[in-house]
Amino acid sequence: MLRYGQALSAQKSIYSLPVALAEREGLFRREGIDFRVVVPVPGGADLMIDALHDDTVDLTHVATPFLVRAALAGSDAVAIAAEFNDPIYSLVARPEIARIADLKGRVVALADPGGSITYSMRKLLALHGVREANVQVKTIDGTPARLNCLRRGGCDAVPLGQPQDLLAQSEGYRLLGRSNDAVPAYLYTVTAARRSWATANAELVVRYVRALAAAFATIRDPAKRGAVVSAIVDITSVPPSVAERVLDLYAEPGRKALPREGEIEVKALAQVIAFMGESGQLASPLPGAERFVDLRYLREVARLKEEDMRKLAR
Amino acid sequence: MRWLAFLAAFMPGAALAGADAADGHDDEAGPNAEEGPAYFGFVKDSGGVPVRDAKVSASYRNKLTLVTRTNATGAYKLPGFKKDISPDEVTISCAKEGYRQVRVFRHPAPRGRPVKAVETECRLQREKS
Repeated sequence: MLRYGQALSAQKSIYSLPVALAEREGLFRREGIDFRVVVPVPGGADLMIDALHDDTVDLTHVATPFLVRAALAGSDAVAIAAEFNDPIYSLVARPEIARIADLKGRVVALADPGGSITYSMRKLLALHGVREANVQVKTIDGTPARLNCLRRGGCDAVPLGQPQDLLAQSEGYRLLGRSNDAVPAYLYTVTAARRSWATANAELVVRYVRALAAAFATIRDPAKRGAVVSAIVDITSVPPSVAERVLDLYAEPGRKALPREGEIEVKALAQVIAFMGESGQLASPLPGAERFVDLRYLREVARLKEEDMRKLAR
Repeated sequence: MRWLAFLAAFMPGAALAGADAADGHDDEAGPNAEEGPAYFGFVKDSGGVPVRDAKVSASYRNKLTLVTRTNATGAYKLPGFKKDISPDEVTISCAKEGYRQVRVFRHPAPRGRPVKAVETECRLQREKS
């Protein structure tokens, strides 16, 4: 049995797509894994790493800043595979607002002041000559809540993730820009495990990573598009047409929202650490990104894949 | 009445375990209107004394498990699964180091009314050392 931790809210968001798909498509079963999703309640980000330590889960979904913080506080948790690489947050505004520059004096919702959404939105506004002091900032956590604020007229512009950004556009709201226009690629969510547990269960971890890699291949497989759309609809409760557009967005050239095979870009994790330093969450000197990852399992999956290819070529 | 007693057990001070906790990343899904009944109750020892900090799990077909811990009064609360999941398919269990589970009792739902919450009491017995 493999117990995988997931926050309750992550379960209902697009960020659960790779694992949900692996489960639906029987990819864990194919690897001989009796896969169980465990949701700690309450399920705050720091509690996800705690769940590794109190033996509630074996592996967990976690956003990289929380992993870094936990590791610096003494946890031996490390990232073993990437789940979501470079998130796309769209700045969506009321229909009459045509440009980011027009937001001066308007009400703009932002998320947690120390979080990556707010950080990327500040950068996006600045790129168009708008500073935080030029707008009325309203702090609202959660894409659904920010969309509600836009719909009810309490906000003039809000950052939204998928699929709500595409849903809002289908309702006539205007896309002003995307987070990726302003910030370099960074590593958003990973599967983490305690280094000690992963070492003791290396073969199981390799099989997990292999199933996850197969899920990313499924997402990119045109023949499996129907199954992927259906998974997005079930997870996020949006119409199939919006789910289709989410997939199209992720497939756009240059977008790196999803890893190819769960690979971890250490440079992208270093970017997260730099962002944490810039926003005052980490003091200098900043730690190296390597200490927060264990790439052995990804390397073993790559080696096994090569071996399979060689066998096929014979 | 039991529901009121349960709420009293959680308040004041103790944070109500629920679906509105902080997220695993810095964005989150909102409350889900498609949610089925919540699960709540108490964990007690064989003498009827509340057991604090016991791990309580609600498992749906061994696929998805919600896990929480009891508060100082032995009370727990877990949010609902999807609306289309019947409470009959959900198994409640409890655990704590040094104890073994001896009994799980689900209080019958009121007849003729939609089920908003399912109350289950879990009993633990201290293991002999």
